[in-house]
Amino acid sequence: MSNRSIILFILTGGTWFAVPAQDSLSTQKLNEIVVTATRNEKALGALPMPVTLIGKNQLRTMGSLRLNNVLTEQTGLVMVPQVNGLGNGLQLQGFDPDYTLILIDGEPLIGRYTGSLDLSRLAVGNIKQIEIVKGPSSSLYGSEALAGVVNIITERPAFTRGTLSARYGTFNTTDFTGDLSTTAHKLGVYAFANRYSTDGYSLGTNTNKTVSPFINTTLQGKINYKITPQTDLSFSARSFQENQAQSFVVNSNSVEIQTIGTGTIHDSNIFGSVEHHFSKRLKALAKIYTTHYETATNLKVKPVDTLYYHDDFSQSYTRPEINTEYFITPRHIVMAGTGTILETVQTSRYGDENKRLQQTQYGFFQYEWLPSDQFQVIGGGRYDHNSIYGAQFSPKLSMLWNPNNRFTLKASYGLGFKSPDFRQLYLNFNNTAAGGYSVLGTEIVVERINQLKAQGQLGALFYDLSQIGKLQAEQSRALNVGGRYTPSPGFFFDVNIFRNDIDNLIETQVVARTTANQNIYSYKNLHRVYTDGLELNVSYPLFKNISASLGYQLLYAKDKDVIANIRSGGVYSYYRDPATLETKRLSVSEYFGLANRSRHTGNFKIFYNNKERGLDASLRLIYRGRYGAGSLQGNVQGLTIPPSDRNNNGILDVYDNFVSGYFLCNVSAAKTFRQKLRVQAGVDNLFDYKDALYIPNLPGRQIYFSMSYSFSKK
Amino acid sequence: MKMKPIFYSLLVSAAGWLAACQSNNSVSPALNAVTFANLPADPPSAGYNPTNGAPIGVTNKFTFFSFSTGAIVANTDSATNKWDLGFRGTTIIVNGGTSGSGSTTAQVITGTFESYNTAPATGYSPDNLASASAPYAIPTGSGRGWYNYDYTTNLITPIAGKIILVKTTAGKYAKMEIISYYKNQTMPTTPTLTPNDRYYTFRYIYQPDGSTNLK
Repeated sequence: MSNRSIILFILTGGTWFAVPAQDSLSTQKLNEIVVTATRNEKALGALPMPVTLIGKNQLRTMGSLRLNNVLTEQTGLVMVPQVNGLGNGLQLQGFDPDYTLILIDGEPLIGRYTGSLDLSRLAVGNIKQIEIVKGPSSSLYGSEALAGVVNIITERPAFTRGTLSARYGTFNTTDFTGDLSTTAHKLGVYAFANRYSTDGYSLGTNTNKTVSPFINTTLQGKINYKITPQTDLSFSARSFQENQAQSFVVNSNSVEIQTIGTGTIHDSNIFGSVEHHFSKRLKALAKIYTTHYETATNLKVKPVDTLYYHDDFSQSYTRPEINTEYFITPRHIVMAGTGTILETVQTSRYGDENKRLQQTQYGFFQYEWLPSDQFQVIGGGRYDHNSIYGAQFSPKLSMLWNPNNRFTLKASYGLGFKSPDFRQLYLNFNNTAAGGYSVLGTEIVVERINQLKAQGQLGALFYDLSQIGKLQAEQSRALNVGGRYTPSPGFFFDVNIFRNDIDNLIETQVVARTTANQNIYSYKNLHRVYTDGLELNVSYPLFKNISASLGYQLLYAKDKDVIANIRSGGVYSYYRDPATLETKRLSVSEYFGLANRSRHTGNFKIFYNNKERGLDASLRLIYRGRYGAGSLQGNVQGLTIPPSDRNNNGILDVYDNFVSGYFLCNVSAAKTFRQKLRVQAGVDNLFDYKDALYIPNLPGRQIYFSMSYSFSKK
Repeated sequence: MKMKPIFYSLLVSAAGWLAACQSNNSVSPALNAVTFANLPADPPSAGYNPTNGAPIGVTNKFTFFSFSTGAIVANTDSATNKWDLGFRGTTIIVNGGTSGSGSTTAQVITGTFESYNTAPATGYSPDNLASASAPYAIPTGSGRGWYNYDYTTNLITPIAGKIILVKTTAGKYAKMEIISYYKNQTMPTTPTLTPNDRYYTFRYIYQPDGSTNLK
């Protein structure tokens, strides 16, 4: 077996106490084990694709409570709001949040009712580590793993230990977290509970809150049982419940209406697995996962008590899977798996409360070959067959070359895809006001057009009927090339150059018009875009207990059709002079790219960790460069967001208005007494940066204090 | 801001004069680009109905415009050949085909105002309401003719680089660019029920000598 041995059993618990000072940025430890990139445990340094690891140690020093706060500080990750300007979705390598798969312990998180997942749903207290794989991973995970995968690995049953913590901060935010782990003979148990509440915040000038007050609770339990030395049983369950108290003044007919109501989110998942080692070389895992997500909003007019607004959405996802891994020799490892996904959605947004179903069968394989200690190749692929959009094959090939202990070179090429979501298939939205228009999912649009035709109301049809109502998966081809240079221990440069070519991007498009001139929009595979750029991470041990790191991402994200259009003098090759309102010619270099993407993002962090004195502290600067606002207007404050495109050409060019770039500064400091009692204080957004109009998901300065008590019988 | 178009047209005419002098065989005198501001295209007198979005206080009548006079033509002359274009809301009709007694034709082409110094010989069509796909010579609908409609803000923005070329009933050519759909060229920045829309501001060059020269 090679010196970078393959570790089959996770080493867990309490390791952070033993972390050497210069490694306090635990993202950087090459011998730490990650599972997401290859679906088996591998040392971080031995992975042939770009992977970021955020460990418990770093999470504790940062003092973050919710997942979005953690991810927003990582190089190349940007938290972007949803359509309504709120929420926190993850943008990765320039992809929208819809294109990154979010997993908890390897199982997908659902509830993308506007496309992105709100990552503030996830508490940080039970997270052992976060693994971020960049580049498509559809070869292992199927749909949605187009930009990459974020896998949240939660704590597992280990030796007897527990933690209780409480925190209080700005906006009357409270957080109580407790967890407990114990083992007895063959049994291991882990339990976690979290309660988080906040008064929310207001960025605007009127009485409406930008974020209304809410309370949420997260409960999680895990049980492991070793039936025989070769057979492990696992069971886990998680539940999340959030209640938000909403109170809005809505301006209707120039009359102010006071509405009050509730917003609820409930999300639960259950997981069970059996793992059996048939021999030292063959193991198999059978597992079943089921999850349910539902959200509802009910607003009533006060004091009349009539319903003002109702919205509900519920989604279920069930997946049994079998997965085997076989070590032909230590230099040849194969893995194969197969499974079925059953998904349903039921929502008021699709015009009825019918349950919509889709089913996917899939199989995947992966082959690892290590011709020498310096070289390894991983190849694999996955075949998905979906009841609606058909078949999809996603291969991936990765290579790593490690000529000496200073250099590592990596390259990977893969295909990713994202299946059309339920909204694109079944949305049935009819706006009777403002001229009237409909947005119809592809599974219902043809029927509606035929109805209109029969009623003599079809004015115009802009596509042949055979071209409407057929939606294919969105696909990407991606290349990641990079490596690491380590001049001395703890001091290194990580570089990754990426290129993603995305085809078949789904957009709304006018497909028909009624005789009353009302447009009928549906979804079509239209756009071809690319994102490319470079990611750089440098880490340097400044002093014995202090390490500094610098992260930077350069990003270009552009629409290929727009570029071709500008070249050929098409409709996008003009802009209106803001002063004279007259048309001028635009050049390709003046086209900035897709909205909501910053060309430059970066971070600078200093972490201090003095184990002897029980002190740790951090200073983190996060930069997001200027970007264009898309055509997403309006927020709960009633503010309208003017789109960046103010020169009437429908694209973002250098003459448009940009959202200004900004720095955020977060600091924290903690003292641990006798490895038991820990006191922490910190400030997020120290300089109180706010942009009520464009960045409603960024509250102002937040100060917090927390105390925690840990015990362990190790 | 209001001075600029005038200044610009002076500049254009000066340049044209200079060019004419140099070539020393002036085919036709240099033409001036004229800006016509705030042509009312059936604006709603009381804004829009907040519940159904319908305009309040509209006449449903077109406002007619003549390039040769550079002025609005009375609505009572709708059945005559005195007008070239009619404006109502976002719809622009030509005095030809199904829309009028004349034989005006038009087309929308992509380019800058300056790039069309000669009117193309072909590509013009009259209105033809019988056609489901192209009922108007100047197509209506967001992104299809001269404007984009943003259904989240209900705002109309003229698309940059869309030039309308017209061949009038009298066989004269004109080119025009729509600059604004809002009164005094002031598009609201927030959605409003009284956006002061349906007021066209456009600049044009009309060639009275019957040639295709539009410089």
